[in-house]
Amino acid sequence: MSVAEDVQTLNRELARRINQEARSNSQSPYANKLVGIANGQVVVVTENWDDLAQSLRKVEPNPARTFAIEASRDYDEVHEIWGSA
Amino acid sequence: MHREEWPLRQGRPCVQIVLALVLNGHPFPRILLADTGAGSQTSGFELILDEHDCVLCGGNPLAPVTLGGAYIGSFPTYLLPVQIPALGFAMNLRVVGVPSVPAPFDGLACFSFLNRFHYGNFGNSASFGLES
Repeated sequence: MSVAEDVQTLNRELARRINQEARSNSQSPYANKLVGIANGQVVVVTENWDDLAQSLRKVEPNPARTFAIEASRDYDEVHEIWGSA
Repeated sequence: MHREEWPLRQGRPCVQIVLALVLNGHPFPRILLADTGAGSQTSGFELILDEHDCVLCGGNPLAPVTLGGAYIGSFPTYLLPVQIPALGFAMNLRVVGVPSVPAPFDGLACFSFLNRFHYGNFGNSASFGLES
């Protein structure tokens, strides 16, 4: 596994744990927040996507080494795309 | 108030957005099918683009979403800077990356994106427009 893949795995696993915590505990500091991760660490917690993007790009210019999640969201929910594709 | 209108493409409504290539910052215009049936107001994404374009334009990866209907399964999402210069619109939007998009379009503008604006034909049946 390459270093970049290692970082992506770390980022995704951290995001998964943060969302699990936020969904099971409404008092979590991450509950209903946008959480930005770079190089395996949380680097920004905000409520605004533009703030999140600016902070992430400032901390880590390589997008492949970043990840972000909307904590508390149910990512298993199915969203319908009606018949255009 | 600003309005931008685009001629129908193969008889279908479309909008043009402008992305930027991460390599050199050059504008990367994309024509999207304006599709009110794509997602809902609460879907958590606003556009659907070819995944290759998301990476070319330096999208920050977000958690994948699950789609049903025309696209089925789990798809990556990205946070991408998106502009419509004529409307003064410039925001980072959540975009789903898919392996292929419906020709002749470069992707879909979902309901939650269109619903940011006043949208429709504004009395001209040969075009579709957004008003901010």
